[in-house]
Amino acid sequence: MKATTELPPEPLKTARRELGGTTVSYVMAIATFALFALFVVARQRQPFDLTTIEPYRNAIAAGFGRTIWVSLVALVASTTLGFIFYLLSTARVGYFRAFTDVFTEIIYGTPLLVMIMITAFVIGPAFGSTNRAAMGFLGLIVYITPYMTNIFRSAISSISSEQYMAMDLFGFTPFQRYRYIIVPQVVRILMPPLMNNFSLIIKGSALLNVLSYRELFYEVSLMTNNTFRFVEGFLLMWGLYLVITIPLSQLTKWIDRRWGI
Amino acid sequence: MKIELDRLSHSYDVEVLRDLTLSLDEYKALAIIGISGSGKSTLLRILSGLERPTAGAVRVNGHDVTSAEYRKQVGFVFQHHALFPHLTLLRNITLVLEKTRGYAPAAARARAMELLDLLHLADQAHKLPRNVSGGQAQRGSIARALSMDPEVVFLDEPTSALDPILTYEVLSAITELRDIGKGFVLVSHVMNFVSAFADYVIYMHEGRIAEHGAPSILDAPHSVELRDFMAKVPDCSFA
Repeated sequence: MKATTELPPEPLKTARRELGGTTVSYVMAIATFALFALFVVARQRQPFDLTTIEPYRNAIAAGFGRTIWVSLVALVASTTLGFIFYLLSTARVGYFRAFTDVFTEIIYGTPLLVMIMITAFVIGPAFGSTNRAAMGFLGLIVYITPYMTNIFRSAISSISSEQYMAMDLFGFTPFQRYRYIIVPQVVRILMPPLMNNFSLIIKGSALLNVLSYRELFYEVSLMTNNTFRFVEGFLLMWGLYLVITIPLSQLTKWIDRRWGI
Repeated sequence: MKIELDRLSHSYDVEVLRDLTLSLDEYKALAIIGISGSGKSTLLRILSGLERPTAGAVRVNGHDVTSAEYRKQVGFVFQHHALFPHLTLLRNITLVLEKTRGYAPAAARARAMELLDLLHLADQAHKLPRNVSGGQAQRGSIARALSMDPEVVFLDEPTSALDPILTYEVLSAITELRDIGKGFVLVSHVMNFVSAFADYVIYMHEGRIAEHGAPSILDAPHSVELRDFMAKVPDCSFA
């Protein structure tokens, strides 16, 4: 049969062809950045020597631990506060809605560093607190709160009105609605942005070093000020942040694929 | 099925249904048609007990539509399937049966599979709504509506969110259900489906019933309004 040997007709518009497999492409991309890092290291005047970090290992590990610890506490606190603000933003009382609106505008317009300075040096003393690290930490929590409020709002509003009508029609009790339909959906929708905000907190916590809170950034700076080994110290620090944030973002994507709706 | 409207009026901010009175008996499939804003969806919601009329009385098969018992045995199919997106098609049905109708899990499962099979969805039972086509999801929601063992199934523009091929698929499935011994009340824009499926048609215009009768009124409208409507409505893909 002649027809089977003929080539299919040329499509009018050629679709964009993707070149290269995904895995290979990613390996190459990662290698590019690794090579760049090597190049940068090789260009330094001092030879690269990670053993210079050795005496500070415990201090840096402790700083790393504190970074994770404050981030976790800030995550829980800002999630809780964010939910309370979400409830306020849906309140019947106009003042509460306006309050959360104005609060959000102020925070969205403020750099995190400025927020931390204001809480530590201005608001804290006004309430008789001279514990700058604690006040700065509070600043971090307050700063993340409207972002948390936002994810609650979008997660909860993503349940369609038709679903509520269906629940109503089937005669689910209020408890059953939350237990079987609303909460399971909200949790699934909430997880990815919640993890992203966690990443935001971890990165933001580096700023607490300006208040002499002994987190990762502070401990590494302390070391580099003594040893002048900036290249080793800062690269290590960078790597340590990425070691937390990249798996976190990968986990987020995995959760979304696995549980997303 | 028996439908009685007695001086039914309904308003939100404006009046959407104006003093409707009608008595129907012995019809199996009632279609409500009309342009957007004519009050057809509101009438469907009131008939199904989803909304409480502001004035007048409505009875379906002798039940007051505002009573709690009536609502418990209504089957309603929404425009956008309204399946719970985090549950499989099967679980969408069994959850309702177990939690609100007191079925044991095994019995709920058997009943749900029977209905999914009726809608040709047995092989899709364990998929989430996002992983099936829009037509399959809509058929799943029809199966869920039937699980309430309703006397009357209400369908609110069940294909308005679907493309022509999926529309055909869903309307064929509904056609197959015609003789399962239930009443159907539907709002639809697919006129050749309405004339093939319904045995009574109500044409709504500006909150009133402008014309009603056997589906043959679609071919030979008496009122100016229905004539205009039929001239404008496009021929859709259901034959």
